[in-house]
Amino acid sequence: MDVKRVLVGILALTLHYTKKLLFGRKVVITILVGLFVAAVMAYAGSQSHAPLEDGTNMMDTLILFFFMPVMAMIFGSSLIRDEIDDKSITHIATAPLDRAFTYVGYYLPLGIAVAVSMVSISSVGMLAFFGQHGVGSEAFEIYLEFVALVVIGSFVYSSLFLAIGVLFPKPVMVGLFYAFIWEGFIGSLPGAIQNASIKHYLRSVGCGWVDFGSISRWDQASSVSGSAAVLLCLALFFLVSGVYLFREKELA
Amino acid sequence: MTVQEGGPEPIIQARALSKWYGQVIGLNNFAVRVMPGITGIVGPNGSGKSTFFKLVLGLIKPNAGSITVLGKGPWKNPELHSSIGFCPDYESLPTDSTGREYLTLIGKLHMMHGTALADRINEVVRLVEMGKAVDRRTGGYSKGMKQRMKIAGAMLHDPKLLILDEPLSGTDPLVRKDIIDLIKRLNKEHEHDIIVSSHVLFEIERMTHDVALVYRGRTIASGDISEIRNLIDRHPHNIIIEGQGTTALAKMLLDQDYVVSVRFNESKDSVTVQVSEPNRFFDGLPALIENAQCSVTKMYSLDDNLEAVFRYLVGG
Repeated sequence: MDVKRVLVGILALTLHYTKKLLFGRKVVITILVGLFVAAVMAYAGSQSHAPLEDGTNMMDTLILFFFMPVMAMIFGSSLIRDEIDDKSITHIATAPLDRAFTYVGYYLPLGIAVAVSMVSISSVGMLAFFGQHGVGSEAFEIYLEFVALVVIGSFVYSSLFLAIGVLFPKPVMVGLFYAFIWEGFIGSLPGAIQNASIKHYLRSVGCGWVDFGSISRWDQASSVSGSAAVLLCLALFFLVSGVYLFREKELA
Repeated sequence: MTVQEGGPEPIIQARALSKWYGQVIGLNNFAVRVMPGITGIVGPNGSGKSTFFKLVLGLIKPNAGSITVLGKGPWKNPELHSSIGFCPDYESLPTDSTGREYLTLIGKLHMMHGTALADRINEVVRLVEMGKAVDRRTGGYSKGMKQRMKIAGAMLHDPKLLILDEPLSGTDPLVRKDIIDLIKRLNKEHEHDIIVSSHVLFEIERMTHDVALVYRGRTIASGDISEIRNLIDRHPHNIIIEGQGTTALAKMLLDQDYVVSVRFNESKDSVTVQVSEPNRFFDGLPALIENAQCSVTKMYSLDDNLEAVFRYLVGG
């Protein structure tokens, strides 16, 4: 295996798709979500008398609970599938790069683009909320903790939705089901069933990190180290599954 | 396409190759030896030409039989792609990228970078005569420009083998002539081995006399085109011309002895011309278009005469 060719290929794909995802048509979605989050958090901030508690709850509910899987779904589920469907994948699939590395060349920019979008949306939301109460060291700490959580979440969810895009011919439908029904509903049910969602482990890590809000007192949380290990394993499992599916896929 | 003992090695060799998609057969016991030079793959739409190319490129895997390209199996063999350039028959350009961005990505995937890549992009852009359009988004390109850009992408890394799937499809007569000249030049001056497909034998004939006829997933004949030509001349050839001012062109065409009939289609800007000698028709058409002062936007051949010949060849 020519390692240099592999690294150059992955880098070329990463730069190309990061630019495409961040500055292409999907930037409109990021802007609209950012505006929505800013408006909601600005209003919540204006009504809050316990800003650290309320601000944390808003970040937990709005960013981590809702928009994190939704944004990863929007960016990820159609990335490869759209190119397979419109056949623009041909010039990538006929490049001298093993498809396993080509897949990594899709995954890295997807994770980066989702992370940048979510960090931007989180930053806008935090400023809209805490800007009204003063951004002290505790608020800044909450901000950094949620930024870390959305970055981790971006790469885990991206690995899932990218694989869904290779496996299913209508990945957006599957993605919507997963993001809203599975993560949104199953992940909120009491008892062990909620452990079957990515959100559970992401919030469990948040429970150990964040000192304010309901997330810090969450009694269903798993351990931080165990949750981090599960998230890493899930990301690797989805990534390896996606690589396998993509290598075996016939691009007819 | 027959090979002599001790002669050059075939660049592609397929034996008993079969590929099916569920109930649909793409290729059925397909066999071919492609030698260096320009080779035409001719067959009606749906005959299996594109399936064959996808197997050559390793985009799909065969259900039965074997295929070697430049001596290697193509499925899961990405290194082979360093030696192959592919121009598909479908629109594959990413519409949200400029031509230069598209070529830059391809170049980088082929380990080209820096000024060498920039120079090579300028060189191929000049060769396919795309000029300043290379910095425009490909979504705004005309059909002819898209074909040229796809050819530029296929030849950017200077591959040994160029595969051009229906490169003339949907292009106007002038672009058609330019692309045919370009293909001949790429073989003669740049020494690319080229496989070019078409459902119109006469287009291929203008580039090469070495052809393989593909019909219903099989190679039914291969070799020099002249013997097949005689068969085809017995079956008039239908060509559809679309554009502005085709009435004047139709009048002029009726005066030509190689034109059997001219018929207007449902749209007044579209005529079907039946010709007995397609070569003379294609040679004379640019002058007629100029004299008639008409603007041809699209020209394509129907498969019907080729279908008739194929039916004859397979005894149907």
